[in-house]
Amino acid sequence: MSKALLQVTDLSAAYGQVLALRDFSCQVEEGKITALVGSNGAGKTTFLRSLSGLLPVQQGSIDFDGGDITYEPSDQRVEAGLALVPEGRLIFPDFTVEQNLKIGAISKRARDDLAEGLEYAYALFPKLEQRRHQLGGTLSGGEQQMLAVARGLMARPRLLMLDEPTLGLAPLIADAIFDMMTQLKETGLTLLIVEQDVNRTLQIADYAYVLENGTGVMAGAAQDILADPKVRESYLGI
Amino acid sequence: MDILLSPQLLAAALITGVLYALISLGLNLIYGTMRLLNVAHGDLVMIGAYIAFIVFSLFNVGPLVSMFGAAVICGGLGWFAYKSIFQNLLSNSQILARLEENSLLLFFGISVVVQNLVILFFTADRQGYEYLSAIVEIGDVRLTGARLAVLIVGSVISIAAVLYLRFSLFGLAMNALIQNRDASAVVGINVDRVQMFSLIIGFGITGLAGALISVLEPITPVMGFPYTMSAFVVIILGGLGNLWGGFLAGLLLGMLEIFGVAITGPEWRSVLVYGIFIGILIFRPQGLLGRGKIAR
Repeated sequence: MSKALLQVTDLSAAYGQVLALRDFSCQVEEGKITALVGSNGAGKTTFLRSLSGLLPVQQGSIDFDGGDITYEPSDQRVEAGLALVPEGRLIFPDFTVEQNLKIGAISKRARDDLAEGLEYAYALFPKLEQRRHQLGGTLSGGEQQMLAVARGLMARPRLLMLDEPTLGLAPLIADAIFDMMTQLKETGLTLLIVEQDVNRTLQIADYAYVLENGTGVMAGAAQDILADPKVRESYLGI
Repeated sequence: MDILLSPQLLAAALITGVLYALISLGLNLIYGTMRLLNVAHGDLVMIGAYIAFIVFSLFNVGPLVSMFGAAVICGGLGWFAYKSIFQNLLSNSQILARLEENSLLLFFGISVVVQNLVILFFTADRQGYEYLSAIVEIGDVRLTGARLAVLIVGSVISIAAVLYLRFSLFGLAMNALIQNRDASAVVGINVDRVQMFSLIIGFGITGLAGALISVLEPITPVMGFPYTMSAFVVIILGGLGNLWGGFLAGLLLGMLEIFGVAITGPEWRSVLVYGIFIGILIFRPQGLLGRGKIAR
């Protein structure tokens, strides 16, 4: 086993009184794609929100790259190289495409590489370059998703977390997003993906965890999870 | 209607407009980044005016110098308010959801306390001082030196502030926070720091405006309230959280007020300002330059 970049131990998180994640442990290995699957309300988004610092942790610990970041604010996590492409994209509607990308590189770790980062983002998504002066809010859903991913990459992350990157997108665009994730892995980037398209996600992932009602119920190589009869019945309808 | 073409009136409108732009910029930063309804905002104008008055009485130093002191002191009050009250409230997501409504009551209380403290120390009497009262003539326009200075200094500072917030990295971060709080945290903006500086700059710039206003009108403990109302009208006119829109709306409200009063009479001032306020809320609630709802 190669070294774990992210190590989560017995993590619990809640919205008010409602415990949405209970004692969940997992690890993400460097250079691999790790997937988190489960039905709606299983706690997947809650998990990513607590990893990025948007939701405070109740119990447990998060170690990233050997450092404890459990109680660090969001900006310090980005500074350490942990970036989130959030559910619903959360791009800035009143910023142009280029301003959205620039603000993605606001952390000190990325600020000096702004020009390089822009070049890389435009090479990856030529459409964004065509629309660089257009306001974020006027882009189509697929373009907004590309912008959200590109903005995440602007932070020069070591681990990029993607929350439902193909939700609500046309099949062709979803294809492009899956291709792009494989491509990013080939550059050596580590990915943690939460996706509703369980079948395709498990096909590109190396490892996977299955969440149910806020608890981890299964973990292993993505191929094994994909072959599991229970998973096939519950999530793939086969 | 010759009166509408009078350059004299135009100068008066610009002075009022620039001051509105400056004061509402402060309110807009605070509302935009934290959704705090600072109904004590005009009291910062009053504090700035008293600072300028005290400095002039004690040291014979004019407002063009003491305005920087007023900015620093009011900015310090902003820092103190952030550290003592808002930092904790804003970091709790459940309190945050209800903070906008509750902040209205909180600031109303602060306003009452501050006004009464000022009455206690300085009495409720009107204060004032003589400063650059000689008349300056520029073409057809006749202004006191003080009013001319306010026009120039106010314009320079408000334009500089808007340009800084539009083109600097800090301004970009502030604009991002105005648009979406979660997204700002996700991209790595130090939200806590941006909030703190919004309050410091917002309070400071308003205190500075107050020092300038001290040469234009009598200084009293209740002089701030009309500025609170005007500033709210301006940021709603310009679109909440839209800094550039607010700047233009400040100038526009100054024009509407001065020209409106010149046509009707001073007793109509409140009717005009509140009439515009209600009119916008009914017909264009997103503001003249607003594009729509601000995402939270």
